[in-house]
Amino acid sequence: MNASVRLSASSLRAHKRRFAGTFVAVFLGVAFLAGTLVMGDTLRASFDNMFGNATSGTDAVVRSADAITTPGESEGVREPVAADLADTVEQVPGVAAAEPSIEGAGQLVGRDGDPIGGQGPPTLAGNWITDEKLNAYRLDEGRAPEKSGEVVVNRGTAERGDLSIGDTTTLRTPDPVKVTIVGLATFGGEDGMAQVTYTGMTRADAEKYLTARPGEAATILVRAGPGVSQQELVDRLTPALPQGVEAITGQESAEENTDMISGQFLSVFTTFLLVFSGVALLVATFSIHNTFAIVVAQRTRENALLRALGASRRQVTASTLVEATAVAVTASLAGLAGGIGIAAGLQALFPAIGFPFPEGDLVISGVSMALPLAVGVVVCLGSALLPAVRAGRTAPLAALRETAVDTSGASRARAITGLGLAALAVGITLNGVLVSPNIWLAGLGAVLALAAFVVLGPVASTTAIRILGGPLGRLRGVTGGLARRNALRSPKRTAATAGALMIGVAVVSLFTVFGASLKATMDQTVSRSFAGDVAVSAPSFGAGGSGLSPRLAEAVQDLPEVDTAVGLGRGVAEVDGKGRALTVTDPAALERTFDLGEIRGSLNDLGTTGIAITEKEADKHHLTTGDKTRLTFTDGSTQTFTVRAVYGQSELAGDYVITRSAWAPHRTQDADTLVAVSFADGVSTDAGKTAVEKAAADYGNPEVQTRDEYAQSSAGAIDMMLTLVYALLALAVLIALLGIANTLTLAIHERTRELGLLRAVGQTRSQLRAMVRWESVLVAAFGTTGGLALGAFLGWVLVKASDGASDSAFAFAMPPLQLLVVALVGLTAGALAGLRPAKRAARLDVLRAIATE
Amino acid sequence: MTTTTLARTAARVVDAVKVYGSGDTAVRALDGVSVDFPAGRFTAIMGPSGSGKSTLMHCAAGLDTLTSGAAHIGDTELGRLDDRRLTLLRRDRIGFVFQAFNLVPTLTVAENITLPLDLAGRRGDPEWIDALIDVVGLRDRLHHRPTELSGGQQQRVAVARAFAGRPEVVFADEPTGNLDSRSGGEVLGLLGRAARETERTVVMVTHDPVAAAHADEVVFLADGRLVDRMTAPTADKVLDRMKAFEVPS
Repeated sequence: MNASVRLSASSLRAHKRRFAGTFVAVFLGVAFLAGTLVMGDTLRASFDNMFGNATSGTDAVVRSADAITTPGESEGVREPVAADLADTVEQVPGVAAAEPSIEGAGQLVGRDGDPIGGQGPPTLAGNWITDEKLNAYRLDEGRAPEKSGEVVVNRGTAERGDLSIGDTTTLRTPDPVKVTIVGLATFGGEDGMAQVTYTGMTRADAEKYLTARPGEAATILVRAGPGVSQQELVDRLTPALPQGVEAITGQESAEENTDMISGQFLSVFTTFLLVFSGVALLVATFSIHNTFAIVVAQRTRENALLRALGASRRQVTASTLVEATAVAVTASLAGLAGGIGIAAGLQALFPAIGFPFPEGDLVISGVSMALPLAVGVVVCLGSALLPAVRAGRTAPLAALRETAVDTSGASRARAITGLGLAALAVGITLNGVLVSPNIWLAGLGAVLALAAFVVLGPVASTTAIRILGGPLGRLRGVTGGLARRNALRSPKRTAATAGALMIGVAVVSLFTVFGASLKATMDQTVSRSFAGDVAVSAPSFGAGGSGLSPRLAEAVQDLPEVDTAVGLGRGVAEVDGKGRALTVTDPAALERTFDLGEIRGSLNDLGTTGIAITEKEADKHHLTTGDKTRLTFTDGSTQTFTVRAVYGQSELAGDYVITRSAWAPHRTQDADTLVAVSFADGVSTDAGKTAVEKAAADYGNPEVQTRDEYAQSSAGAIDMMLTLVYALLALAVLIALLGIANTLTLAIHERTRELGLLRAVGQTRSQLRAMVRWESVLVAAFGTTGGLALGAFLGWVLVKASDGASDSAFAFAMPPLQLLVVALVGLTAGALAGLRPAKRAARLDVLRAIATE
Repeated sequence: MTTTTLARTAARVVDAVKVYGSGDTAVRALDGVSVDFPAGRFTAIMGPSGSGKSTLMHCAAGLDTLTSGAAHIGDTELGRLDDRRLTLLRRDRIGFVFQAFNLVPTLTVAENITLPLDLAGRRGDPEWIDALIDVVGLRDRLHHRPTELSGGQQQRVAVARAFAGRPEVVFADEPTGNLDSRSGGEVLGLLGRAARETERTVVMVTHDPVAAAHADEVVFLADGRLVDRMTAPTADKVLDRMKAFEVPS
């Protein structure tokens, strides 16, 4: 064994405890990263497998060639094809069977009267395809629907709604339809396609409820005869198809579906988790660097002796690096095992919380093992590099120096560099946010701000701890004073220790501020542009839910308590080659329940050729009232509309408004997303709301909300997201805590003699414990304060940058209560981190401490 | 007056036995020592290395516990006290001067001097402390940190701290061990003067006959036993006595 390796091996053995913190930090980061990758792979493979199984009988899919995709949606909207095209297709040689597939939204109501699903994953309804091989669902129990009103549902949905064969319930399409369950189905061998709900009805029912016009289908599914490959089938089908209709292989279709799921759900999910492992690893970097820096500082005497005895610089540096490598590799390997454990745990946990994680073995690819391992080792070695070089530079005669007060961190050069960076960061950010809104510039500013914080840390720590610790000396006497002085001893070390917590707190505050701003934005949107008294909305976001029946608005309008009820539907069309969402409504009524800002022209009498657009879109396309614009619909038809009105505020009403009659020829399944109601004069909110609720009960019982409730429910999704974010960030805070605890333990080791002296001259154990704990709290307070400041700044940048980048106005809000909670969590974390080191310090034997050489 | 001070003992140990380790490796550091330290006097404990002199001081000062026998500070028996009470006793009734690392590096000279008082939450006697600062001659260094002082100055601060709370006994463990002879002489003179002028009891462990000569009385230890006492010592007399230990008898 060479000398460096032998030295580091013996050092590791001798100081197991010192490296425990580093080990745990690397372990957690790597485990999180590996777990995320393994889980992502496993999920993707499971979905592939499931779709492969489910659609293996479909050899080709016939559908409209063009799709219109609006911004923010991954799946385009396609025009339906004629259902009787199936008969034509069936005549093509090599086709064994062809059936139209009608697809739409349909939400089942469970036994307790609440709708099933709708919180994200789609709620699908369609015709039950009679050809077993073409149907992605397999009948598992009962029989196929034969009469109108009979349906098959997937087993998972039935279980969630506590429904079984023979039960009668309501299907919202969105018009409520009475249905009887006659069969239960599985998808690719599972109880369902993840959380997607599926209801299969007879073809006649499907045409009646799910399409705008009878005789239409979303696609035609084709099965090949014996000896005909999928590609051959497509080649034969293509000439037989009318203009604007295409055929793709079954495999391509399955891949598209998988991609869609991956794109919508998996990549968002895994990116999210990867970002958090990144944060965790960044925090870990601080902790690891700090540990090595302290270890090297403590070993100055030992290293000096080695150098005096003839060890070269390189040997001393190498021995530190070998030590780091040993820790990095063991911790990373353990982290890989931990990651697999996390993935396995989640696989077991998901079904327990009602999310059917597809079964199957964990997919552990080379990449998902090699990447975290590499990241773990690189992070660890990178963190140790500087301390190792410093170790090598130890002068042979630097031996008998007392480690006392090191103020090297607070150098003038550092202060100047840091301030320069900070000024640059603020300048770039302000420019990117206020002067010429540019998200990249703002991002660069944010990164620079982070760098400035790290560089300025040691300079700021001295001032900050003097201020933060000021009251401590007065409140806690000499114990507090000593804690404060100890925290001031090594500004660099204090800053690095606090830095880990600072980043954790900064990210938490960033999300808190951003979430609060989103909520404020919604609140502001609703209060500014919603002039009605109550809103009826289907409780859904994402692709789920079936919307509201267009007849609901009419029914509510007929109530004596109601002045105006206006339903808002959604359509799509291409304007200048780009997909745009259209608001389909009664424009005249819209004006009465929404504040549209300043209106030029008139919203009355848009008819079938008139359109109203927002000022912003009008400016973009250089349009004004009286001008003409062309819209291309999914059916490929292009129609010229005359701009009849230009209005100021788009928030709830959307950018383009057309009438129902103008949309009718192009519509697919008919649904409103929102019905806004304003009451007649003299009707109280309670009375009006009760009346509307009564009327809505016949339409699948959607939720009726007052203005405030409506604004709050829009914010509910944000709270859910924030909860998830906080749960993930708890990991980063945990690593930061370990870092503080580790630094303190090492510092106590360093100060053994001093602690012994204090005990000898009369410091009681509890005073000593309090002193260590307060030091910990002070360091945490510094990290928390810095984190709050940085997080609030970055939150502001994010909000302002989003404001500049998006069409709608973004409000900025600082939630004082939540930020106070974050601050308290940070301080409590500090107090907790100090507990163990304080206990260890208090156990110290006075005599031995004095005698320590 | 002399008779009254002699009648009182500030600290004493009775039949003190201290055994380190057990079985074959057991070492009897103290083997039945009984000694009184009269109040108001400066006593030196002398002995060759391994004679048990440091152990005797540690046990008498409540830093360590005896295996058997008893140690008293005034009328208090230390063996009956738990860690907390021992700590409070050290804080309120005893002063310490160690060989090195006497001062807390983060505190200023003034803060180091009043540290035991501050830990007790007492204000102490400002006139007394003021006078002490003049005695040790550090008025112009009060706001310096220990690292900015020479070794001798650091030990003088330690002496001031030891006397700041008007303790019954001040224990000094090789206080001049790390100093050159001039600084050492200053510190020893200071200890003696402080003891006599303020009528405090000082117990000092040393192996240096010159240091021991500053004391009023020297007790000699060898192999964990008390072997001799000498009043009005001089360096030569002490040296002669010490030489006797080295001759195998």
